[in-house]
Amino acid sequence: MSALLEVEDLRVTHEGNPIVDGVDFTLEAGEALALAGESGCGKTTTALALMRLLPPALQQSGTITLRPPGVEKPINIGRRTETGMQLVRWRHLSLVFQGAMNSLDPVQKVGKQIAEAIQLHERSADSSDVAGRIDELLETVGLTGGVADRYPHQLSGGQRQRVMIALALACRPSLVIADEPTTALDVVMQAQVLQLLERLREELGLALILISHDMGVLAETCDRIAVMYAGRIVETGAVGAVFGEPQHPYTKRLLDSLPVIGGERGIAAPIPGSPPDPGNPPEGCSFNPRCPYRAERCDIDPPLREVRPGHWAACHYAPWDAWPEVPPPVVAGGEAAT
Amino acid sequence: MSGALMDVTDLAVEFKARRTTARALDGVTLEWQPGEILGVVGESGCGKSTLARAMLGLQETAAGGIALDGTPVTDRAGRRELRRRVQMIFQDPYQTLNPRQRVRAIVTEPLRVQGIDASEHEQRVDRALHDVGLDPARYLDRYPHQLSGGQRQRVAIAAALVLEPDGLICDEPVSMLDASVRAQILNVLVALQKRRGLALVFITHDLSLAWSLCDRIAVMYLGRIVEEGRATDVIQQPRHPYTQALVTAIPIPSPGGGGRRELLRGELPDPTAVPSGCRFHPRCPRRFEPCDRVDPSLIETGAPGQRAACLLHDPAAVAAAAGTERPA
Repeated sequence: MSALLEVEDLRVTHEGNPIVDGVDFTLEAGEALALAGESGCGKTTTALALMRLLPPALQQSGTITLRPPGVEKPINIGRRTETGMQLVRWRHLSLVFQGAMNSLDPVQKVGKQIAEAIQLHERSADSSDVAGRIDELLETVGLTGGVADRYPHQLSGGQRQRVMIALALACRPSLVIADEPTTALDVVMQAQVLQLLERLREELGLALILISHDMGVLAETCDRIAVMYAGRIVETGAVGAVFGEPQHPYTKRLLDSLPVIGGERGIAAPIPGSPPDPGNPPEGCSFNPRCPYRAERCDIDPPLREVRPGHWAACHYAPWDAWPEVPPPVVAGGEAAT
Repeated sequence: MSGALMDVTDLAVEFKARRTTARALDGVTLEWQPGEILGVVGESGCGKSTLARAMLGLQETAAGGIALDGTPVTDRAGRRELRRRVQMIFQDPYQTLNPRQRVRAIVTEPLRVQGIDASEHEQRVDRALHDVGLDPARYLDRYPHQLSGGQRQRVAIAAALVLEPDGLICDEPVSMLDASVRAQILNVLVALQKRRGLALVFITHDLSLAWSLCDRIAVMYLGRIVEEGRATDVIQQPRHPYTQALVTAIPIPSPGGGGRRELLRGELPDPTAVPSGCRFHPRCPRRFEPCDRVDPSLIETGAPGQRAACLLHDPAAVAAAAGTERPA
């Protein structure tokens, strides 16, 4: 009852086709949840639905309840009007999206942009107080005060991404959703930004939803993970359990495809085919056309069920105590459907 | 000379602004053997893409040069030969294909440009598409917008292969693709290397990818190669503090894999104001007395064929410093 965020039966449709198809999860205060999956699986759409920022062509349904500490009544995000949402966004939950570093206003100094965000939500804040907070925020994300007087083009990609994180924190929200926050950065910058997010969680008790297709990034930063495929969560549990003993064939193959330094060299066999078209989903389990372990029951849609304590998977054959031999690599040069 | 497909010797590339000059490449020497997969790794801005352009003869050079099969590439004829023998694919398959051309025209174009007899076109285009796993009958008449990201990158590879080059330079070819599509493209490239003996240069900031794919790798920092050697040696036993920092920064896809780590601070310095001495010294966790004065060159250290440009591996520098100050 006390979870910070509760999402029940979240659905997003486009012209009647499901993009997000019944997603449920909860998030405790200070917890970090990973949303994993490939492009088109619905992870970004889920993030936008939580912010109520979907484009008009997409319809969302389901309940999203946010209980920020110190706020008496739970916030029913699904039911809020646009004006009502404006009071919630940035103040209680904020979003750092992919390529966000390119969304700063190019003709305004960084400090001014942060000040605007603060003053919009706290009309009473006086300007000397705001200036102090900007310096504090920039320091929190590891930027020196001088950055406030610079324009975005005078900053590097990593610095701009830090400014975006500072902006997301400006009104002290209890939840930040970060959608591929490090994808445009190289390894060193990525590691710095991830370490920053981790530190902010510790220091500010911030809850985090981290969206990425990079399983390495997720494993290092999050407590729990939800793997999405074709608009649904197909596996969820503690990061240790899911990475250590995956219980859905999709997760298993996704993890197998990652190179591990010191392990076996070479390129893993790809998952054949491509994710289903939301307008024409396969019969039964949505992964069955690509699944190497497919068997007769796979024609029936598998529910997400608890296959081990705290570890859920949408596969009829879970729990998998041992995985059958990996199928032979797809011979390059053969016809592949992608 | 060395039997290499390509020798890059002491190459320098400069970009001049009104008052300042940025050395994007500064004394880069590299051998690329036939059939070899050579990785070039480093942060953005280190000069790896400029190196790729220079290797294709697309970049004016300030000093040094490249040689193909031991023959220096100096004139127009040489560059034309170079562009037939060595091809390139880029990071973004959405931007490299002409949206108004069909796959047939895209893959045929290199043949036209190189003046290959028209009677050969159809057969060679078909074969190139087969090689990348696309059925010509299904894809020849499609436009790029009718293809997925993975299919587009395949078409880009087919267009690069249609001239049957000996070398293919891949600039971050999979960094925009999802895990499963990425594996498909990598499989196509590795199969080409195995079947046709195609040599590959893999430019990437992803060290785990370089580790799993490359025979040898060169690590670049601010326009220089700071370490090179067999991929397994360089990544599993890096000798240069910069390589060590890059390896430490790789996120590890297993729970608790990364743990607490010491990270490289700051960012690449401005290439118009290269630090004195070792150009890595302002960020280096292991710098000692001579590092801000002495510019290290690559010296053999570690495994056979492994070289690093770091004074820690120069006994004379370490001994001299020990007399005055202890290494940090």
